[in-house]
Amino acid sequence: MSFLNISNLEKSFGPTRVVHDFSLAVEQGEFISFLGPSGCGKTTTLRMVAGFETPTAGRIEIDGRDIVRLRPNQRNIGMVFQSYALFPNLTVGQNVAFGLKVAGASRALIRARVAEMLEMIGLPDLAGRYPFQLSGGQQQRVALARALAVRPQVLLLDEPLSALDAKIRVSLRAEIRAIQKKLGITTIYVTHDQEEALSMSDRIVVMHQGRADQVGTPFQIYNTPATRFVAGFVGALNTVQAEVIDPGTGRVLLAGTEAVLDRALPAGQVTLGLRPEMVSLGPAPGRETVLRGRVVEVDFLGAVIRLKAELGGEVLAFDTFNTSQKAPPRVGEEVSVSLAARDLLVIGPPA
Amino acid sequence: MTRIWSWIALTFGLIYFALPLIGTVEFSLRMRRGEYSFDAYRKVLADPRFQETFSYSVVMALATIVFGVLLVVPTAYWVRLKLPRLRPYVEFLTLMPLVIPPIVIVFGYLRLYNTSSWLPLTGTTMGTNLLLMFGYATLSLPYMYRAVDTGLRSIDVGTLTEAAQSLGAGWVTILARVILPNVLVAVLSGAFLTFAIVIGEFVLAALLNRPAFGPYLQLMGANRAYEPAALAVIAFAITWACMGLIQLVSRFTRHGRTA
Repeated sequence: MSFLNISNLEKSFGPTRVVHDFSLAVEQGEFISFLGPSGCGKTTTLRMVAGFETPTAGRIEIDGRDIVRLRPNQRNIGMVFQSYALFPNLTVGQNVAFGLKVAGASRALIRARVAEMLEMIGLPDLAGRYPFQLSGGQQQRVALARALAVRPQVLLLDEPLSALDAKIRVSLRAEIRAIQKKLGITTIYVTHDQEEALSMSDRIVVMHQGRADQVGTPFQIYNTPATRFVAGFVGALNTVQAEVIDPGTGRVLLAGTEAVLDRALPAGQVTLGLRPEMVSLGPAPGRETVLRGRVVEVDFLGAVIRLKAELGGEVLAFDTFNTSQKAPPRVGEEVSVSLAARDLLVIGPPA
Repeated sequence: MTRIWSWIALTFGLIYFALPLIGTVEFSLRMRRGEYSFDAYRKVLADPRFQETFSYSVVMALATIVFGVLLVVPTAYWVRLKLPRLRPYVEFLTLMPLVIPPIVIVFGYLRLYNTSSWLPLTGTTMGTNLLLMFGYATLSLPYMYRAVDTGLRSIDVGTLTEAAQSLGAGWVTILARVILPNVLVAVLSGAFLTFAIVIGEFVLAALLNRPAFGPYLQLMGANRAYEPAALAVIAFAITWACMGLIQLVSRFTRHGRTA
């Protein structure tokens, strides 16, 4: 049996149901992300685990014990908030010590644990500072140390990096992940940022309209999205209409060119998805299907150049890397692009 | 042109407020014929009844402040946290003491808590003191509640509460260690206002027949010439000291919490 078990969890606010029949089994030490747009129910689900919301139905078990009836302060769960929520009247050291003090730990233990935690987050000299004297990134690290100081069974993070600027966000996510791995603490991480979810998680739960659309590793979520929503929300995606010629072998007519997907397809029209990085400008080894068309848009992003080309009535976006030897194609230029038919995703009908 | 008019308005205002005060101070110094002296103050401060009534009022003020803090901080906190929709109504309720005259309040008390009622608070000295303290708390409620509520607005009550809860804290710990310290400045300014109100209050104390400073002030005013002026100046000084302390405390912390 898993360490954290959520089964058939439901939550309604009045007549509005915000979480539908949510089930998830989390292994000890696993890092799980809840990914989805705002209003998808990810934060509500997290808050039910923390005890700040009462489920309308369902069970939440940690280590075999049902915690739904426990108050938040009885659950032994660490929580990190988007707004840091450090106690403004306490110093960094006192903030980290807060949970231990409440639990009645001895003074020696508190002192040792606070020093250990501040060492872990790389701020050993700031114990005497007040929160308002710290930068956002430092405050959030202190908040993490405070949550971990009581050695909680589960760590919950509610969009902890959303209030920080881009550079700190990237460095801090690596730091959080490293600390999580080192302590081996079971973690749920709520985010709307797919890059965060993909780079940090063992598994991702993609949520949409109160349901878990797909649960899987970042690789699975990205490469084999289960629903149209997951395909569109995680990563950039081209969608093209194709006509199925032979449902058995998956032969389709795509932008006037035949391609074989090598898997069974429904007869008639299908929507196919293709990641921009699965398309090459010009011929490429292993990408046997070649389409011809003209460039309609060029976005120079630095390392990457994102192009859009019209190919037989369909517009495909795709990426090439920048090189100093060759200027990117111009708008209106005739180009050929290549892709592998195996990389085409079949997108289900809209939910 | 408008400059001149604003100067005139300002001067008029200053004269309007300052002149009676200057007159009172001047008069209080004239007890000794032909020269200025502090005789009136010396007499007042030496009067045992002054010391009795003043210390009675100070004790009552402190008790009122403690009771007021214990009543208002958890209430304002709870309203902000759990019943935000009731906030305008609660605020309106706390303003009622400004609208209802103290004389009405005290007659209500006397009807409800007289010796033949089911809760005869006026039957004992202690009970009457308690009743007087409740009355003072009611009178200072608008100021105390507003001050605390404003203090709570400056912190993220909901998230701080949740953070403390997730760290294992119960309600009492949250109130004592997280909420109260963060609204302490607001509580202090409410407390100083309460102090000023209680020291000068007359109606409740007189009608409940308690030996407070207000009735003593009135008694002196009716029987003496120079001493009441000295007393009035002392009362003013106390009030101003309280207001100065509010300023001092709020400036002191504004410096500390700019983030």
